[in-house]
Amino acid sequence: MALKKLSVPEEAIIRKDFHEIWDSKMARSTLITVSLMLVIAIPVIFLIVIVNTPANQINGADKLMKMLPPSAQNFNIKQASFYIMTNSLFPMFFLMIPLMSSSVTAACSFVGEREHGTLETLLLTPMKPKQLFGAKVKGCVMLSAVITAISFAAFAIVTSVGDILLHLPFFFSWSWLVLILLFAPAVTVLGVMFMVLASAKSKSYVEAVQTSGYIVIPLILLFLGEFAGLFALNAVAFLIISAVIIALDVIIGEIAARSFRTEKLLK
Amino acid sequence: MGEPAIHADRLSKTYNGTVTALRGLSLDVAQGEVFGFLGPNGAGKTTTVKLLNGLLKPSSGSCSVMGLQPLIHSSEVHKMCGVMTESAKMYGNMTGMENLEFFARMYGVEPGKAKARAESLLKCMDLWDVRGRELHTYSTGMAQRLSLARALINDPKVLLLDEPTNGLDPESANAVNSMIASLACKEGVTVFLCTHQLRYAQDICRRYGIIEKGTLLACGDLETLARNAQFCPKAAVRLPDGEQLENFERGNDGWWRADIKEDDDMPRLLKKFVEEGHHVYEARIVRPSIEDIYFRYVQINRGEEWH
Repeated sequence: MALKKLSVPEEAIIRKDFHEIWDSKMARSTLITVSLMLVIAIPVIFLIVIVNTPANQINGADKLMKMLPPSAQNFNIKQASFYIMTNSLFPMFFLMIPLMSSSVTAACSFVGEREHGTLETLLLTPMKPKQLFGAKVKGCVMLSAVITAISFAAFAIVTSVGDILLHLPFFFSWSWLVLILLFAPAVTVLGVMFMVLASAKSKSYVEAVQTSGYIVIPLILLFLGEFAGLFALNAVAFLIISAVIIALDVIIGEIAARSFRTEKLLK
Repeated sequence: MGEPAIHADRLSKTYNGTVTALRGLSLDVAQGEVFGFLGPNGAGKTTTVKLLNGLLKPSSGSCSVMGLQPLIHSSEVHKMCGVMTESAKMYGNMTGMENLEFFARMYGVEPGKAKARAESLLKCMDLWDVRGRELHTYSTGMAQRLSLARALINDPKVLLLDEPTNGLDPESANAVNSMIASLACKEGVTVFLCTHQLRYAQDICRRYGIIEKGTLLACGDLETLARNAQFCPKAAVRLPDGEQLENFERGNDGWWRADIKEDDDMPRLLKKFVEEGHHVYEARIVRPSIEDIYFRYVQINRGEEWH
């Protein structure tokens, strides 16, 4: 439906990129495996462990209880463990998905063209480099958004089951709302823009995906900081961080769009 | 003469400020003309094509295609041009049909029309039977023909072809040449054909440019080029063994040859031979081929002595 608003060439390039990414075994397996691991496998394992471990054998119970907000002070240790996981650890896992999917799709879309020698052919069409850049970015963002949405739906089911089993209130909070509506889209665009810049230096798809590892580091540090008790990440914090990332998106996007010039691309 | 389809004025390109690929190229190609741009690898042919379609920015000078500057009006120029270069590849994981349909849509052609156009080109290029095969399974000849089909997908007014017959067997090369010639003849498409395969060029080109090391050595039709290179037509005569002709040289093939100034010299010579009692089996005027002319210009440019 969204494709109907696009021009014929834009739609063609987006459809072609979708097929190409799906046809690439490496990209497809990365997108499916990593998403399944992060939103289903890991939460399920945590849930099984929490449900089946006797309360008195859960390590660091005091520390966990201290991390709870005032509204959750009446939770028992199992509830507290799952609550902390859902609100502190799983957001990090979840945000890895838009970051990973946008990096992988952008690597396929941008570096793939360069690798296969098809970029020059695209630049010979009436589409201007900026339009081509825009269409490719839109395609990567759309595909990542779909993957992120499906992943969140799967995650929501797993977490809701955990909430029911542990008699916890529904996990969805203001923080998750900001994560879904702002943080994840901002991170998606960041992943694409970063990969566009990285694609200029990368000779192959694999090399480009490896480079994308660098962009995950700030995300991990952010959540490690919370775990270490350096700061608390709530809805307001996510809102501020999202705003910073959106600003970064605009700056990096501008740089990436300017670097997407015919002569530079064909060097 | 109307506006040229292709115009270059002192066009130069230097890469990284050090390597000069093209020096002050000036030429005009008329609409509907098939122009052969001849030169060895690295002469500057591909650079010229890339400058003409706006993929490269000139270091100095200017160029235009159908009156439009490619750098400023890139979209419009690309809409009018079909470009085939060795480095502009198609998608190996897509079939021939999918590739053509995709590129048709990149030119804004609606899906239904894109399919019809792709089908007609596949039939025309004798690729209909392999339309459903992925491109990576195509032979070099098939892939070249598909590239030519891609260059024609937008019904171009100007075709910029860089070595379209490279790597093709003689049969495929002839097929591609016939296609190019027919496009120019029937549809009035202007063709700028870069090649180092001189014999193929002579079959279809009306005018030529000879380029070496980025410098245009000569430009014109075969006759002009031959005259400027001080090539004369030769009278060639075959006589029975034992007979000799004064001022003629005998070649290894048994033919006697001598330079003549113009075609009108030939009947006079033949009359003289008959009057002298020679038995003339065969006689013809031998003109220089584009290959002879090309090598003459290259040798003159290199300062070598011509024998």
